[in-house]
Amino acid sequence: MITTYLFYLLSFLAIMFALMVVFSKNPIHSVLYLVLAFFTIAGHYVLLNAQFLAAVHIIVYAGAIMVLFLFVIMLLNLNKETEPHKSVWLKASAAVASGSLLVVLVGSLKGAAGIQSAKTFDASIGLIENLGQTLFNDFLLPFEVSSILLLSAMVGAVMLGKKSIK
Amino acid sequence: MKALILLSSLGVIALLAEIFSFKKLLYPIVLLGLITTFVLNMFDWDTNKLYFKMMQFDNYAVAFTAVILVVAFLWFIMAEGFFKEESNLTDHFALVLFALVGAVMMVSYTNMAMLFLGIEILSIPMYILAGSNKTDVSSNEAAFKYLIMGAFATGFLLFGIALVYGATGSFDLSEIAAAVSGGTALSSIFYVGVLLMLVGMAFKVSAAPFHFWAPDVYQGAPTVVTAFMATIVKTAAFAAFLRLFSTTFSGVSETWMQTVWVMAALTLLVGNITAVMQTSTKRMLAYSSVAHAGYMLLALLAANNYSNSAILYYASAYSIGSIATFAIVNIISDAKNSDGVDAFNGLSKTNPMLAIVMTIALLSLAGIPPTAGFFAKYFIFTSAFMAGNIGLVLIAIIASLIGVYYYFRLIIAMYFKESDGQTIAVESNHKIVLVIIAIAIVALGLFPDYIIGLL
Repeated sequence: MITTYLFYLLSFLAIMFALMVVFSKNPIHSVLYLVLAFFTIAGHYVLLNAQFLAAVHIIVYAGAIMVLFLFVIMLLNLNKETEPHKSVWLKASAAVASGSLLVVLVGSLKGAAGIQSAKTFDASIGLIENLGQTLFNDFLLPFEVSSILLLSAMVGAVMLGKKSIK
Repeated sequence: MKALILLSSLGVIALLAEIFSFKKLLYPIVLLGLITTFVLNMFDWDTNKLYFKMMQFDNYAVAFTAVILVVAFLWFIMAEGFFKEESNLTDHFALVLFALVGAVMMVSYTNMAMLFLGIEILSIPMYILAGSNKTDVSSNEAAFKYLIMGAFATGFLLFGIALVYGATGSFDLSEIAAAVSGGTALSSIFYVGVLLMLVGMAFKVSAAPFHFWAPDVYQGAPTVVTAFMATIVKTAAFAAFLRLFSTTFSGVSETWMQTVWVMAALTLLVGNITAVMQTSTKRMLAYSSVAHAGYMLLALLAANNYSNSAILYYASAYSIGSIATFAIVNIISDAKNSDGVDAFNGLSKTNPMLAIVMTIALLSLAGIPPTAGFFAKYFIFTSAFMAGNIGLVLIAIIASLIGVYYYFRLIIAMYFKESDGQTIAVESNHKIVLVIIAIAIVALGLFPDYIIGLL
């Protein structure tokens, strides 16, 4: 019972913070609200028994990436309002498109009520041991191949970042 | 699998070249490596091996890998200049090779995780290479636009994958297909998942209305990178698209058929009509590349036993033709500092060889016999006819007539306009590869059976 209340509380907070990210004028406030939104989502992970994921989520997103965001915003000096206004047509079409997506998603989620988990409940499912078993057995190839993804991103970052030697 | 391992190690070798200073040797090593990969890849023919339950090298995957490798080989020769800049040479090699790894994954995946990783491994080097001309503002803009839009599309794709997983409980294509045809009613989130994945894939193949990034990115990126995006990225993306929708999601075809129908018609019309109004050849080719995605969508929509081979043939004919046109646009825009249609004026008098190869390639893209492009369109239309999409075939025929108009504008500029008398110096390896491409286009058109009979 308490988890149900927690779920609704966390969902309410997550949606509210996500809206604040979009609506706040100051980019730094946006980023801080995003951090809060990430914390509420981490709370959802805990409710779903994914404790490890929750910890990693907080460390990586709320910790590392958000600090990076803040740095970039401060370096770019974006705290004055410089965003150009979009045309009315653009705004209207964006509203129609995202509104239809919302309708489709809400409609489909109404039908999702009947979904039952195929597995029986297991409190240790989100722990590192189980995660590691899955990662190194079933998903070994994607796990290894993602090293190429990271390597190419790293090479690219270095390439774009370094000065060309003349 | 052999292709995957070899290409990844080639990429790592390219990075090591910086440390052990064999940068001069790298170009021949990569070309040799591509040939070796091609040969070893061919040994996988008819073996139909499943690796780790993640990748299946069936004939479909082997054939598309082979097309990608051949196009990549031709691309490396046309793009030699791109690998001359001393300071970034090894990075360029590594990024292109890693992109090829992603392309190989996209044609052979049997698991959504591999599909996602393949798309990302292909896309991230492309985002970076699009901005590899660091001093050019339009190149920066192209990279930025591609990254933002690409990340957004990936978000749709991932959300789609998550919903499909939620409804079926699996990432595995065969298990999802089993759940689709299993008889028990699927949850409604499955259908939304399919549509969101459709959005993600349509972005990658630049089908309308998800094509808005393509012209800006294609125009802003260095021409050689544009050639890579228009050929290899598109071929791999279509192979992935087809693999997913023709088998796994074919059981729910009524969900996505109409959407794809509208998308195909829009892509054909928007791509071809907008291409007519362009003055920059690069931008025109970008819109023509959007239009060609429309033709390939026709075969995807047909989803019969002709569509695999039709798309394979179309992708090879279109890629080879595009490599030639982009190579020549690159040579001319380098020499004349302009990629407008005017830059081609009188090319037949100053550089008859370039003009002839360009003509053959453009005729192929326009679909005039006896070039490869004609049979490519013919097979696509046949496969669409068999599936009963007669209305769409009519739209496609009208669209290709519009296409003939803008391709011929370039041909007319080359043959019937006065030139400024400047002869453009062409390197000998470019000459050789352009002649080979021209012969290949005609040969593919004369003997289409060799490819069309494969799948």
